[in-house]
Amino acid sequence: MKLVVLIKQIPNTSNVRIDPKTGNLVREGVTSIMNPEDRHALEAALSIKDHFNAVVDVISMGPPQAIEVICEGLAMGADKGILLTDRAFAGADTWATSTALGNAIRKNGPFDLILAGRQAIDGDTAQIGPQIAEFLGIPQITCVSALELSDGKVVANRIIENGCERIETPLPALVTCLASLNEPRYPTVGRILDSVLESTPIEIWNAADIGVKAQEVGLAGSLTQVLKTFTPKGGRETQYLEGTPSDIASGIVQFFVDRQVRLGE
Amino acid sequence: MTRIPRPTAEEMIRKTFARFTDDEIIPKAREMDEAGKFPRWMFEKIAKTGAYAMRYPRKIGGAGGNTTQFCIMVEELARGSMSVAAFTAMQCLMGTNFLYQYGTKDHHERLLKPALRGEKVASFALTEADAATDLGGAKTMAVRDGDHWLINGSKTWITNAPVADFFTVLCQTDKTQGLKGLNFFLIERETPGLYVSKKFEKLGTRATEIAELAFSDVRIPLENRLGQDGQGVGNLMRILAVIRTMTAALSIGLARAAFECSKRYSLERTQFKKRIGSFQLIQQKIANMATEIWGANLMTYKAAEMIDRGERALKEASMAKYFASETACRASDEATRIYGAYSYSMEYDVQRFYRDCRFLLFGGGTSEILQTIISREEGVY
Repeated sequence: MKLVVLIKQIPNTSNVRIDPKTGNLVREGVTSIMNPEDRHALEAALSIKDHFNAVVDVISMGPPQAIEVICEGLAMGADKGILLTDRAFAGADTWATSTALGNAIRKNGPFDLILAGRQAIDGDTAQIGPQIAEFLGIPQITCVSALELSDGKVVANRIIENGCERIETPLPALVTCLASLNEPRYPTVGRILDSVLESTPIEIWNAADIGVKAQEVGLAGSLTQVLKTFTPKGGRETQYLEGTPSDIASGIVQFFVDRQVRLGE
Repeated sequence: MTRIPRPTAEEMIRKTFARFTDDEIIPKAREMDEAGKFPRWMFEKIAKTGAYAMRYPRKIGGAGGNTTQFCIMVEELARGSMSVAAFTAMQCLMGTNFLYQYGTKDHHERLLKPALRGEKVASFALTEADAATDLGGAKTMAVRDGDHWLINGSKTWITNAPVADFFTVLCQTDKTQGLKGLNFFLIERETPGLYVSKKFEKLGTRATEIAELAFSDVRIPLENRLGQDGQGVGNLMRILAVIRTMTAALSIGLARAAFECSKRYSLERTQFKKRIGSFQLIQQKIANMATEIWGANLMTYKAAEMIDRGERALKEASMAKYFASETACRASDEATRIYGAYSYSMEYDVQRFYRDCRFLLFGGGTSEILQTIISREEGVY
């Protein structure tokens, strides 16, 4: 059984700061981490590996330093790492990212299941997993909180707004994972020491290696263009309404009317 | 294929154990301290990271790590809880070292390998009522009796004693030989005649259990002497630099914890309508803490580097341990001053740092004996 896990290196945004002049994230002094939900996806794959005869490959796209999360994936228990890195990949939106990752997965050969985090906490789009499934023409189950494999199919619990769906689909398929799926293991000391050795397999691929043209990926291949990023001006104003309950209710309605807020049909 | 440099093992170990400490230890540190019991669940959680196997070679189930990596790991753990770091260090180093070096194949299979997997708890028994810094004063006797050793005596201040599965115990085999008559012996917990006292009530490191051991006609096989006859102290000296450097790393971890709390509080707490961090006397404390921690860091990891290169590092390790442990005590003290009356409340972590730092002054040699050693190493004695 072959499992592919998509992992992303992101800035640790628990203490995020935005440069007010450029609108960009201040990266100085910000450590990089593996996207939290990707860690749960990898744990799911490693749990399958613990019980079945499975091979787990981790794939990431990013700058050269993203090799750190590949090493971390190997230290957790993955068998092989692949890093897509090329200046041509820079500035990619989700479409261009999915194009690059989808081609890389194809190049890597047949697989049974792709696992990814639901979304990365830097972009929060939740689009990469579904787009890759579409790109590869395979079924997908998103927002998975429980997962079982048997007889060439995957059965998963999918969390939706007001409950849970139980979905079954044949393999190969793609699932995106929630944090509630499992408790990820920590890398072990022995595997950490192995992961930094050149003998531990990590393949580095550029655009040419995965057979895509520069204009299909990165900023050039993106369907969306970011015109500007900025931090919304802060400062909240509290207005106290006084009087009878009727006066206050009228005041609230007038407040919405003045601001042209539609209150429903 | 393009080649991209990988992160170093040291960076990976720091990052992994920093996350482990932030996510697993810090949220439970106060609870473990208040419970005052050995947290076996935490011991087992750490075991899953392969931490206890770090220093040992692959062939016996180890990870093949070095002293620098070991120090980084325990430093990060100590940032969260000195108790947790202390029992981890015992399991990784003193409790298992002599068993690895001088144990039989059977010892390795039955005891060492399970200990490295966290399935057995190890302990190390050196100190006696009248023999601490003065090891030559050890009175616990091991007498050859046919094809066995017969052990009689007692040990005190034994880390992990109430929960340990086996002990490496320093015993005198020939009173006339003094230090040269000392040897290490492996004694398993279930051996008849071995008694463990109730755990000590102590000021700090409350989640590490410490007790006394008493040996009354404890009979163990001849192969349980760990090392050549009369080599006990010599063999101890061989890892003393590692023990001291490791203790220095524990000290840095605790000092960093006190420092981080102090920084945060200095930026939060206001008096006279100003953050207290804007007052120069608070800034002086922060600056001194930062400077000393940096110094302790440089000394500790330089000593670790020397050990990893196979160099004699007794002086440097002694200096690092002396400076780093005193730094941890000063940092904890200054943290309580910055917190003012709140440091006196059990609700804030700084009181725990203030209690736990005292542990660092004794293990691996007191500051006083270390100064004597450093002076002697410099030729003045």
